Amino acid sequence: MAHPSQLGFQDAASPVMEELLHFHDHALMIVLLISTLVLYIIVAMVSTKLTNKYILDSQEIEIVWTILPAVILILIALPSLRILYLMDEVNDPHLTIKAVGHQWYWSYEYTDYEELAFDSYMVPTQDLLPGQFRLLETDHRMVVPVESPTRILVSAEDVLHSWAVPSLGIKMDAVPGRLNQTAFITSRPGLFYGQCSEICGANHSFMPIVVEAVPLKHFEEWSTLLLQDA
Amino acid sequence: MSYSKMSLAKPVMRGLLGKRLRFHLPIAFALSLMAAAAFKFGVTEPRKRAYADFYKNYDATKEFNNMREAGIFESVRPTGK
Repeated sequence: MAHPSQLGFQDAASPVMEELLHFHDHALMIVLLISTLVLYIIVAMVSTKLTNKYILDSQEIEIVWTILPAVILILIALPSLRILYLMDEVNDPHLTIKAVGHQWYWSYEYTDYEELAFDSYMVPTQDLLPGQFRLLETDHRMVVPVESPTRILVSAEDVLHSWAVPSLGIKMDAVPGRLNQTAFITSRPGLFYGQCSEICGANHSFMPIVVEAVPLKHFEEWSTLLLQDA
Repeated sequence: MSYSKMSLAKPVMRGLLGKRLRFHLPIAFALSLMAAAAFKFGVTEPRKRAYADFYKNYDATKEFNNMREAGIFESVRPTGK
């Protein structure tokens, strides 16, 4: 989850998010390169009274400031496209979960083997236990097996929502009447928080997402228990 | 009476802006490349190393058990050990 005075991304908890982090560093390095160059040139040009009123053109500089930006754009595009296609791969997921957005909660359906479904409402601030996070905790979490490819089918029942978990590098719009697919693998066990990312009414800020990654054995025990209680 | 003619050298009156550009542009490019290199070796590479180091000896079971005993999970209760 986010922490106070945070400037960058949350720590990555999936391989895709790690790739996104490194790509962002790469793009930011290029931005810093160009910004430093431009800033220096601006200061150098603004701090002199010298001008040349008679410059008409220069083929050399035109070639330089066409080729150089093209090269820089290619240097950005190649890793970008690589990650784009990496994110699109859905490699034989072990589990498929449907995440459906409602006003104003998420519901999760695990229907691979049995009909397991539950709603996930935000825990109100006055009901939080010590150590829990305000506006981020839910009464029922989406439990997944750790290090296991998981497919998420995102949709909505009423208006647009968006299922987002920053530390897993996922954001997928929940559109009524449409199934959007995304996939992830959690690199480590733990809790990963997210919030609805598409304005959906009065309580848009109060329908968070919590992904709980536990070993497969415990995931199976949890799902069996939930089915028995249902 | 003769006297030697003393005069100053004619000052440079042309190409002043070009001279300034020829002086400053290489410095601008060099500084920007240095800034990029500083970011790469000060931020990018340490971050990649940090992630590699974190997962090199990461014991998922041990960390899971620590988190379980801390009571943060909903799907598993602490064992009390």
